[in-house]
Amino acid sequence: MAKRKYLVLFRSQPTGGQPGPSPEQMQQMFAAYNAWKEKFKDAIFDMGDQLKSEGRVVTASGVADGPFVEVKEVVGGYMIVSAENFDRAEEVVRACPAVHAKGASLEIREMTGAKM
Amino acid sequence: MSEPSHPRGPGGPASPPGLAEHYFRHEYGRLVAVLVRRVGLHHLEVVEDAVQGALLAALTAWVADAIPQNSGAWLYRVAHNNLMAVLRKDHGHQKILDGAADQGEEPVSATFAGEVRDELLRMLFVCCDEKLPRESRLVLALKTLCGFSTGEIAFRLFTTEANVYKRLARARDRLRDDELDTQTPPLELLRSRLPSVHSVIYLLFNEGYLSARAEHAIRSELCEEAIRLGTLLATDLCPAGPDAPARRAPGVAPGRHRWLAVAGRAGPQPLGRRASE
Repeated sequence: MAKRKYLVLFRSQPTGGQPGPSPEQMQQMFAAYNAWKEKFKDAIFDMGDQLKSEGRVVTASGVADGPFVEVKEVVGGYMIVSAENFDRAEEVVRACPAVHAKGASLEIREMTGAKM
Repeated sequence: MSEPSHPRGPGGPASPPGLAEHYFRHEYGRLVAVLVRRVGLHHLEVVEDAVQGALLAALTAWVADAIPQNSGAWLYRVAHNNLMAVLRKDHGHQKILDGAADQGEEPVSATFAGEVRDELLRMLFVCCDEKLPRESRLVLALKTLCGFSTGEIAFRLFTTEANVYKRLARARDRLRDDELDTQTPPLELLRSRLPSVHSVIYLLFNEGYLSARAEHAIRSELCEEAIRLGTLLATDLCPAGPDAPARRAPGVAPGRHRWLAVAGRAGPQPLGRRASE
Protein backbone atom coordinates (compact mmCIF):
# COMPACT_ATOMS: atom_id res chain seq x y z
CA MET A 1 0.00 0.00 0.00
CA ALA A 2 1.28 3.39 -0.87
CA LYS A 3 2.44 5.45 2.02
CA ARG A 4 0.67 8.60 2.97
CA LYS A 5 2.34 11.70 4.30
CA TYR A 6 1.53 13.29 7.61
CA LEU A 7 2.47 16.77 8.73
CA VAL A 8 3.43 16.88 12.40
CA LEU A 9 3.22 20.21 14.20
CA PHE A 10 5.10 20.69 17.44
CA ARG A 11 3.35 22.93 19.88
CA SER A 12 4.68 24.11 23.19
CA GLN A 13 3.74 26.53 25.91
CA PRO A 14 6.05 29.50 26.20
CA THR A 15 8.45 28.58 29.01
CA GLY A 16 8.79 32.13 30.31
CA GLY A 17 12.20 32.31 31.91
CA GLN A 18 12.46 28.66 32.86
CA PRO A 19 16.01 27.39 32.59
CA GLY A 20 16.71 25.24 29.55
CA PRO A 21 18.13 21.73 29.70
CA SER A 22 21.56 21.25 31.25
CA PRO A 23 24.46 20.09 29.05
CA GLU A 24 24.12 16.57 30.46
CA GLN A 25 20.39 16.54 29.73
CA MET A 26 21.11 17.78 26.22
CA GLN A 27 23.45 14.88 25.68
CA GLN A 28 20.75 12.46 26.84
CA MET A 29 18.26 14.14 24.50
CA PHE A 30 20.78 13.87 21.69
CA ALA A 31 21.09 10.12 22.28
CA ALA A 32 17.32 9.70 22.55
CA TYR A 33 16.63 11.58 19.31
CA ASN A 34 19.28 9.65 17.43
CA ALA A 35 17.91 6.33 18.62
CA TRP A 36 14.40 7.39 17.61
CA LYS A 37 15.58 8.63 14.23
CA GLU A 38 17.39 5.36 13.58
CA LYS A 39 14.46 3.22 14.65
CA PHE A 40 11.97 5.03 12.43
CA LYS A 41 14.23 6.07 9.59
CA ASP A 42 11.86 4.60 7.01
CA ALA A 43 8.98 6.66 8.37
CA ILE A 44 10.67 10.00 8.85
CA PHE A 45 10.23 11.61 5.46
CA ASP A 46 11.50 15.04 6.45
CA MET A 47 12.99 15.90 9.84
CA GLY A 48 11.58 19.39 9.30
CA ASP A 49 12.88 22.30 11.28
CA GLN A 50 12.34 24.42 14.34
CA LEU A 51 10.62 27.76 14.03
CA LYS A 52 11.77 31.02 15.53
CA SER A 53 9.34 32.77 17.82
CA GLU A 54 8.82 35.91 15.75
CA GLY A 55 6.27 35.79 13.00
CA ARG A 56 3.87 37.72 10.80
CA VAL A 57 0.29 36.97 9.99
CA VAL A 58 -1.01 38.18 6.66
CA THR A 59 -4.71 38.80 6.10
CA ALA A 60 -6.65 40.74 3.48
CA SER A 61 -6.71 43.70 5.82
CA GLY A 62 -2.99 43.81 6.49
CA VAL A 63 -0.11 42.26 8.37
CA ALA A 64 0.20 41.68 12.09
CA ASP A 65 3.48 40.96 13.83
CA GLY A 66 3.87 38.21 16.37
CA PRO A 67 4.28 37.21 19.10
CA PHE A 68 0.62 36.55 19.49
CA VAL A 69 -0.03 36.95 23.15
CA GLU A 70 -3.52 35.53 23.05
CA VAL A 71 -2.22 32.08 22.09
CA LYS A 72 -1.33 29.79 24.93
CA GLU A 73 0.61 27.45 22.68
CA VAL A 74 2.99 28.33 19.91
CA VAL A 75 4.02 26.19 16.96
CA GLY A 76 7.70 25.56 17.50
CA GLY A 77 8.52 23.17 14.69
CA TYR A 78 7.30 20.67 12.15
CA MET A 79 8.26 17.47 10.40
CA ILE A 80 6.78 15.14 7.84
CA VAL A 81 6.17 11.46 8.56
CA SER A 82 5.35 8.92 5.91
CA ALA A 83 3.29 5.93 6.98
CA GLU A 84 0.75 3.40 5.76
CA ASN A 85 -1.95 4.79 7.97
CA PHE A 86 -2.76 7.10 10.84
CA ASP A 87 -2.02 4.49 13.50
CA ARG A 88 1.48 3.96 12.23
CA ALA A 89 2.06 7.72 12.04
CA GLU A 90 0.86 8.01 15.61
CA GLU A 91 3.24 5.26 16.69
CA VAL A 92 6.17 7.14 15.19
CA VAL A 93 5.18 10.42 16.81
CA ARG A 94 4.44 8.82 20.16
CA ALA A 95 8.00 7.52 20.31
CA CYS A 96 9.49 10.92 19.48
CA PRO A 97 11.43 12.34 22.46
CA ALA A 98 9.81 15.74 21.85
CA VAL A 99 6.58 14.32 23.29
CA HIS A 100 8.17 14.39 26.73
CA ALA A 101 9.15 18.05 26.63
CA LYS A 102 7.28 19.97 29.27
CA GLY A 103 3.98 21.35 27.98
CA ALA A 104 4.55 19.94 24.50
CA SER A 105 1.91 18.55 22.19
CA LEU A 106 2.30 17.14 18.70
CA GLU A 107 -0.51 17.40 16.20
CA ILE A 108 -0.64 14.93 13.30
CA ARG A 109 -2.47 15.93 10.11
CA GLU A 110 -2.68 13.78 7.04
CA MET A 111 -1.64 15.57 3.88
CA THR A 112 -4.04 15.20 0.95
CA GLY A 113 -1.32 15.01 -1.63
CA ALA A 114 -3.28 17.38 -3.85
CA LYS A 115 -1.00 19.73 -5.71
CA MET A 116 -1.72 23.39 -5.66
CA MET B 1 42.77 7.35 32.32
CA SER B 2 42.24 9.00 28.98
CA GLU B 3 42.95 12.68 28.54
CA PRO B 4 39.96 14.10 30.32
CA SER B 5 40.59 17.75 29.63
CA HIS B 6 40.23 17.46 25.90
CA PRO B 7 37.25 15.46 24.79
CA ARG B 8 37.77 14.41 21.26
CA GLY B 9 34.97 14.71 18.81
CA PRO B 10 33.96 11.64 16.90
CA GLY B 11 35.01 11.15 13.35
CA GLY B 12 37.86 8.70 13.49
CA PRO B 13 37.36 6.21 10.70
CA ALA B 14 36.66 3.37 13.10
CA SER B 15 34.63 5.26 15.68
CA PRO B 16 30.87 4.82 15.60
CA PRO B 17 28.73 7.92 15.41
CA GLY B 18 28.28 9.27 18.88
CA LEU B 19 29.79 11.48 21.49
CA ALA B 20 32.20 10.87 24.30
CA GLU B 21 30.63 10.51 27.72
CA HIS B 22 29.86 13.94 29.21
CA TYR B 23 30.91 15.54 25.93
CA PHE B 24 28.37 18.39 26.19
CA ARG B 25 29.22 19.06 29.81
CA HIS B 26 32.95 19.13 29.24
CA GLU B 27 32.69 21.18 26.08
CA TYR B 28 30.68 23.67 28.14
CA GLY B 29 33.65 24.02 30.49
CA ARG B 30 36.15 24.32 27.68
CA LEU B 31 34.15 26.95 25.75
CA VAL B 32 33.42 29.03 28.84
CA ALA B 33 37.09 29.02 29.77
CA VAL B 34 38.29 29.98 26.29
CA LEU B 35 35.66 32.67 25.68
CA VAL B 36 35.98 34.24 29.13
CA ARG B 37 39.68 34.54 28.46
CA ARG B 38 38.87 36.52 25.32
CA VAL B 39 36.22 38.94 26.53
CA GLY B 40 36.90 39.22 30.25
CA LEU B 41 35.59 37.74 33.45
CA HIS B 42 32.96 40.39 33.98
CA HIS B 43 31.13 38.90 31.00
CA LEU B 44 31.02 35.44 32.56
CA GLU B 45 27.24 35.26 32.61
CA VAL B 46 26.87 36.34 28.99
CA VAL B 47 29.53 33.84 28.00
CA GLU B 48 27.70 31.04 29.79
CA ASP B 49 24.45 31.93 28.01
CA ALA B 50 26.24 31.99 24.65
CA VAL B 51 27.74 28.56 25.28
CA GLN B 52 24.42 27.14 26.44
CA GLY B 53 22.85 28.46 23.23
CA ALA B 54 25.55 26.84 21.12
CA LEU B 55 24.99 23.46 22.74
CA LEU B 56 21.24 23.75 22.13
CA ALA B 57 21.90 24.63 18.50
CA ALA B 58 24.17 21.60 18.22
CA LEU B 59 21.48 19.36 19.66
CA THR B 60 19.09 20.37 16.88
CA ALA B 61 21.56 20.58 14.03
CA TRP B 62 23.42 17.37 14.80
CA VAL B 63 20.25 15.34 15.16
CA ALA B 64 18.89 16.67 11.87
CA ASP B 65 22.15 16.19 10.02
CA ALA B 66 25.19 14.57 11.57
CA ILE B 67 27.92 15.43 14.01
CA PRO B 68 30.39 17.58 12.08
CA GLN B 69 33.96 16.41 11.65
CA ASN B 70 35.34 19.07 13.94
CA SER B 71 32.54 19.33 16.44
CA GLY B 72 34.60 21.42 18.86
CA ALA B 73 35.27 24.11 16.26
CA TRP B 74 31.60 24.04 15.25
CA LEU B 75 30.56 24.71 18.84
CA TYR B 76 33.16 27.41 19.28
CA ARG B 77 32.01 29.26 16.18
CA VAL B 78 28.35 29.26 17.21
CA ALA B 79 29.11 30.23 20.82
CA HIS B 80 31.42 33.00 19.65
CA ASN B 81 28.80 34.39 17.27
CA ASN B 82 26.14 34.27 19.98
CA LEU B 83 28.44 36.11 22.33
CA MET B 84 29.38 38.80 19.81
CA ALA B 85 25.73 39.38 18.93
CA VAL B 86 24.92 40.10 22.57
CA LEU B 87 27.98 42.24 23.23
CA ARG B 88 27.44 44.19 20.04
CA LYS B 89 24.08 45.38 21.33
CA ASP B 90 25.87 47.08 24.17
CA HIS B 91 27.74 50.11 22.88
CA GLY B 92 29.87 50.28 25.99
CA HIS B 93 31.66 47.17 24.87
CA GLN B 94 33.02 48.52 21.63
CA LYS B 95 36.57 48.20 22.89
CA ILE B 96 36.16 44.57 23.70
CA LEU B 97 34.75 43.98 20.27
CA ASP B 98 37.67 45.70 18.60
CA GLY B 99 39.92 43.24 20.30
CA ALA B 100 37.85 40.12 20.12
CA ALA B 101 35.63 40.50 17.08
CA ASP B 102 37.23 38.37 14.47
CA GLN B 103 35.94 36.07 11.82
CA GLY B 104 34.61 33.73 14.43
CA GLU B 105 37.39 31.28 13.85
CA GLU B 106 38.62 29.49 16.88
CA PRO B 107 42.03 30.78 17.85
CA VAL B 108 44.66 28.27 16.87
CA SER B 109 45.78 28.10 20.47
CA ALA B 110 42.40 26.82 21.62
CA THR B 111 42.61 23.74 19.46
CA PHE B 112 45.81 22.40 20.96
CA ALA B 113 45.25 20.14 23.91
CA GLY B 114 47.99 21.88 25.87
CA GLU B 115 46.48 25.31 25.39
CA VAL B 116 43.00 24.11 26.25
CA ARG B 117 44.46 22.70 29.43
CA ASP B 118 45.89 26.13 30.18
CA GLU B 119 42.53 27.80 29.68
CA LEU B 120 40.78 25.31 31.92
CA LEU B 121 43.47 25.66 34.55
CA ARG B 122 43.23 29.41 34.45
CA MET B 123 39.48 29.15 34.94
CA LEU B 124 40.02 26.79 37.85
CA PHE B 125 42.23 29.40 39.52
CA VAL B 126 39.63 32.07 38.83
CA CYS B 127 37.03 29.94 40.60
CA CYS B 128 39.38 29.56 43.55
CA ASP B 129 40.00 33.26 44.04
CA GLU B 130 40.34 33.93 47.78
CA LYS B 131 38.16 37.01 47.35
CA LEU B 132 35.21 34.74 46.65
CA PRO B 133 33.29 33.37 49.60
CA ARG B 134 34.62 29.92 50.36
CA GLU B 135 31.30 28.19 49.71
CA SER B 136 30.98 29.92 46.35
CA ARG B 137 34.22 28.55 44.93
CA LEU B 138 33.18 24.93 44.66
CA VAL B 139 29.81 25.84 43.19
CA LEU B 140 31.37 28.18 40.65
CA ALA B 141 33.81 25.47 39.54
CA LEU B 142 31.01 22.93 39.20
CA LYS B 143 28.97 25.36 37.13
CA THR B 144 31.55 26.89 34.81
CA LEU B 145 34.21 24.19 34.52
CA CYS B 146 32.19 21.02 34.88
CA GLY B 147 29.03 22.21 33.13
CA PHE B 148 26.53 21.17 35.80
CA SER B 149 23.27 23.12 36.03
CA THR B 150 22.23 24.73 39.32
CA GLY B 151 19.69 21.96 39.80
CA GLU B 152 22.28 19.25 39.26
CA ILE B 153 24.70 20.95 41.65
CA ALA B 154 22.03 21.25 44.34
CA PHE B 155 21.16 17.59 43.93
CA ARG B 156 24.77 16.52 44.29
CA LEU B 157 25.62 18.77 47.22
CA PHE B 158 22.43 18.01 49.17
CA THR B 159 21.30 21.60 49.15
CA THR B 160 18.58 23.68 47.55
CA GLU B 161 18.70 25.15 44.10
CA ALA B 162 18.05 28.58 45.59
CA ASN B 163 21.10 28.19 47.77
CA VAL B 164 23.29 27.22 44.82
CA TYR B 165 21.93 30.14 42.87
CA LYS B 166 22.73 32.51 45.72
CA ARG B 167 26.31 31.25 45.98
CA LEU B 168 26.78 31.61 42.23
CA ALA B 169 25.37 35.13 42.22
CA ARG B 170 27.74 36.15 45.01
CA ALA B 171 30.69 34.76 43.11
CA ARG B 172 29.70 36.50 39.89
CA ASP B 173 29.16 39.80 41.69
CA ARG B 174 32.61 39.65 43.22
CA LEU B 175 34.22 38.79 39.91
CA ARG B 176 32.37 41.63 38.18
CA ASP B 177 33.43 44.18 40.78
CA ASP B 178 37.07 43.32 40.46
CA GLU B 179 38.86 46.13 38.66
CA LEU B 180 41.53 43.76 37.37
CA ASP B 181 39.13 41.41 35.76
CA THR B 182 39.16 42.55 32.16
CA GLN B 183 42.01 40.15 31.70
CA THR B 184 42.31 36.96 33.60
CA PRO B 185 45.65 37.05 35.38
CA PRO B 186 48.38 34.91 33.88
CA LEU B 187 48.97 31.51 35.38
CA GLU B 188 52.15 32.60 37.14
CA LEU B 189 50.27 35.16 39.22
CA LEU B 190 47.55 32.68 40.00
CA ARG B 191 49.80 30.17 41.66
CA SER B 192 49.41 31.84 45.00
CA ARG B 193 45.89 30.45 44.93
CA LEU B 194 47.18 26.92 44.88
CA PRO B 195 46.09 26.10 48.45
CA SER B 196 42.55 27.23 47.64
CA VAL B 197 42.56 25.15 44.46
CA HIS B 198 43.68 22.13 46.43
CA SER B 199 40.98 22.55 49.01
CA VAL B 200 38.29 22.91 46.34
CA ILE B 201 39.40 19.75 44.56
CA TYR B 202 39.70 17.92 47.84
CA LEU B 203 36.22 19.05 48.84
CA LEU B 204 34.84 18.02 45.46
CA PHE B 205 36.34 14.56 45.79
CA ASN B 206 35.12 14.12 49.34
CA GLU B 207 31.60 15.23 48.45
CA GLY B 208 31.49 12.38 45.99
CA TYR B 209 33.44 9.83 47.99
CA LEU B 210 31.70 10.21 51.33
CA SER B 211 28.22 9.80 49.96
CA ALA B 212 25.96 6.94 50.89
CA ARG B 213 25.97 3.85 48.73
CA ALA B 214 22.63 4.62 47.13
CA GLU B 215 23.81 7.86 45.63
CA HIS B 216 27.08 6.56 44.28
CA ALA B 217 26.00 6.49 40.66
CA ILE B 218 25.24 10.18 40.65
CA ARG B 219 27.74 11.48 43.14
CA SER B 220 30.71 9.49 41.87
CA GLU B 221 30.65 12.01 39.05
CA LEU B 222 31.99 14.48 41.58
CA CYS B 223 34.96 12.17 42.17
CA GLU B 224 35.49 11.91 38.44
CA GLU B 225 35.47 15.68 38.12
CA ALA B 226 37.87 16.04 41.07
CA ILE B 227 40.23 13.60 39.40
CA ARG B 228 39.83 15.36 36.06
CA LEU B 229 40.70 18.75 37.54
CA GLY B 230 43.38 17.26 39.77
CA THR B 231 45.04 15.59 36.80
CA LEU B 232 44.89 18.86 34.93
CA LEU B 233 46.66 20.51 37.81
CA ALA B 234 49.21 17.79 38.43
CA THR B 235 50.31 17.44 34.83
CA ASP B 236 50.56 21.07 34.03
CA LEU B 237 50.97 23.36 36.95
CA CYS B 238 54.46 22.48 38.01
CA PRO B 239 56.71 22.36 34.97
CA ALA B 240 60.14 20.87 35.49
CA GLY B 241 61.81 23.19 37.93
CA PRO B 242 63.14 23.42 41.43
CA ASP B 243 59.66 23.57 42.95
CA ALA B 244 58.15 20.67 41.12
CA PRO B 245 57.53 17.93 43.65
CA ALA B 246 54.13 17.08 42.25
CA ARG B 247 55.54 16.30 38.88
CA ARG B 248 57.92 13.68 40.10
CA ALA B 249 55.59 11.47 42.03
CA PRO B 250 52.09 12.77 42.51
CA GLY B 251 50.94 9.53 44.04
CA VAL B 252 53.36 9.59 46.94
CA ALA B 253 54.14 13.27 47.31
CA PRO B 254 53.70 14.41 50.88
CA GLY B 255 52.05 17.52 52.21
CA ARG B 256 50.15 19.72 49.86
CA HIS B 257 49.67 17.07 47.23
CA ARG B 258 48.33 14.48 49.59
CA TRP B 259 44.85 14.84 48.13
CA LEU B 260 46.10 13.31 44.93
CA ALA B 261 47.45 10.36 46.83
CA VAL B 262 44.03 9.99 48.39
CA ALA B 263 42.46 10.21 44.96
CA GLY B 264 44.83 7.61 43.58
CA ARG B 265 44.22 5.11 46.35
CA ALA B 266 40.57 5.58 46.97
CA GLY B 267 39.49 6.42 43.46
CA PRO B 268 38.87 2.98 42.00
CA GLN B 269 36.85 1.78 44.95
CA PRO B 270 33.81 4.04 44.62
CA LEU B 271 34.36 4.25 40.89
CA GLY B 272 34.14 0.63 39.94
CA ARG B 273 33.22 1.55 36.42
CA ARG B 274 36.33 3.63 36.00
CA ALA B 275 38.65 0.95 37.32
CA SER B 276 38.05 -1.15 34.26
CA GLU B 277 38.70 1.66 31.81
